Amino acid sequence: MSIIEWERDRVVLRLFGVKWDWAIEPRYWRPHIIGIGILFLTPVILYFVYPPLLATFIEGSLLPCIVLPVILMLIGTGRFNFGPQFFVGVGGFTAGLLSIHFGLGPWVTLLAAAAAGLLTGLIFSPLTLLAGGIYFALLTMLLPLIFLEITFVFEIFKGDTGLSGIPFLVNFPNFMLNQLLYAFIALALMLIYLAITDRVLRSRYALQMAAINDDEEVANGLGVNINRIKIISFIGPAVMISIVGWFYAHYFGAFSSITYLPITFMMKVFMALVIGGRGAWAIVLGGYVVTLIEVLLIRFAGDLSPILFPITMLALLLIFREEGIFGLYRKRHYRDYKPRFKITK
Amino acid sequence: MLATLGTVLLYTFLLGSLYLLVSLGFSLITGVLKIFHFGYGYLFIGAIYFTWMFMDVFHLPLGWAILAMFALQAVIAYVLYRFILVPFRFKQDEEFMFVMTVIFIALILQLGADVFYPIYKGVYLETTVIPGTSQIGPITVSNQLLFAAGVGIVMTLLFVLFFTRTKMGLAVRAISYDVYSSRILGINVEQLFMIVFIMTIIPPIVAILTVAPIWAIDSSIGQAYLGIAILISVLGGLGNLKGTIIASYIIAFCHSLVSFAIGEPRLMSLSALIVVFIVLILRPEGIIKTKSVW
Repeated sequence: MSIIEWERDRVVLRLFGVKWDWAIEPRYWRPHIIGIGILFLTPVILYFVYPPLLATFIEGSLLPCIVLPVILMLIGTGRFNFGPQFFVGVGGFTAGLLSIHFGLGPWVTLLAAAAAGLLTGLIFSPLTLLAGGIYFALLTMLLPLIFLEITFVFEIFKGDTGLSGIPFLVNFPNFMLNQLLYAFIALALMLIYLAITDRVLRSRYALQMAAINDDEEVANGLGVNINRIKIISFIGPAVMISIVGWFYAHYFGAFSSITYLPITFMMKVFMALVIGGRGAWAIVLGGYVVTLIEVLLIRFAGDLSPILFPITMLALLLIFREEGIFGLYRKRHYRDYKPRFKITK
Repeated sequence: MLATLGTVLLYTFLLGSLYLLVSLGFSLITGVLKIFHFGYGYLFIGAIYFTWMFMDVFHLPLGWAILAMFALQAVIAYVLYRFILVPFRFKQDEEFMFVMTVIFIALILQLGADVFYPIYKGVYLETTVIPGTSQIGPITVSNQLLFAAGVGIVMTLLFVLFFTRTKMGLAVRAISYDVYSSRILGINVEQLFMIVFIMTIIPPIVAILTVAPIWAIDSSIGQAYLGIAILISVLGGLGNLKGTIIASYIIAFCHSLVSFAIGEPRLMSLSALIVVFIVLILRPEGIIKTKSVW
């Protein structure tokens, strides 16, 4: 028996007793496997063709890592969190401070950042029970801004200059090799988050979350333990976002509140959500598009890039509206669950 | 001790009256139009930088520049209402799009101010009405701040009178209760929404113009004042003028206490947030729980 067989409608590969087959007709292809394959190949291609773009790839991989938990939080709590960067700050500062003051390595600080995310998530999770709609949106928007002010009040956070001297996650003598490894780690993190989101949204648990997103009172009437679901849906994503903060701290070897806590960073995060469109893969696409546009503008527009970036984003927003760029490829099916972005109700 | 208490109380009054102006528009927008106007901060930036632009580019004197700025802000508000708010907000599913759009507009203005009028260009508006300082007991206060506080109280009073004593105000109160019933009663809801949306630009613009000569001005003021407006509106109960008035003075008291009694003004926002959290635990919909504007 040959290793590769060319059958009428598919190619079959047999290797080490395992059979792989691939449908020839494009309509039977598995787009997510192709997508993952392209994503894994991209850093390698960039490494050999144009290494400076690896940083863009890393940034593009990290944005969905923040947006995906935000979506989980939105569905499970029925509320829109306008300050997800608060948890980026929590994770980043935990990792940075523990590394600098106690000499802890990145893998220990990963646990600490996750624990800090869990703790702060737990502290602020009652907001999901106390405040609804616009109250929740407004208060969550304020959290990172207040945290930003605190970093300027307490010297330990070094609000003016930011923390520096945080040990790097990978530290080989070859800078570009480091970048390549960071790209793969960021990509792995993003794919893990994608898998978690996908798994959660396909579970029975998601039905309860969706019920809360649609109508909290009806969900309660149907026997859904809405308080438990809302708290878990707040804390889980908080931990996931904190880990992104940890990555930022150990990737740059520095962490500054002025970079991650202001509204401008939040805007970039939400742009990945709006430009990409609805759906997990759309968010991934949005992350890369937003970072690529930012880099291109910096490269070609120079001093005007800070103002051209939001103008470009606004134009894209008004052109593609809620379907996003991904909407060009995939039209929504009537059976797809479409979470409501409830802000005022 | 007594001097500190006096300072705290005096500044509670002064800041509270000024915060009325800062938060009045935001509270009305959220209460009447039921929208999250995240871009509210652009009004503060626009007030300063548009005025400066008219003086710098068109060489208008200050008074004319302020008038031109008011006209431009009204046009922007109309365009926002007509082309962004109506198509996005009134289709419930696209509310998020509206929020994102107004944030972008605010961001474009802020970054535009940074690009075209960076700090070293020294943007400064000489809008002082009463120069000098006054002595109130042992406390020295800027006359302009006293003037700003007075303007805050007068303007709030005018808004209250408008909503309680005029037919249009009554209609606005009706739509803040129930849009559909108001429509059945023959109220032109869309027209009133537009009028309220444009009206709400007045208090924040007046606030920033009165304090421009005495407080620091830069392109980030929009976010700072938006933060104050949010805290006050949430604390008072969104859209309620009584609640907004009470909350303005409570937040001002927090700020004064932290600044003058504790001596750490950088903790102002944190202290206010803690107060808001505590009140929300006790009263989840703010101090005044009502759907009505008054």
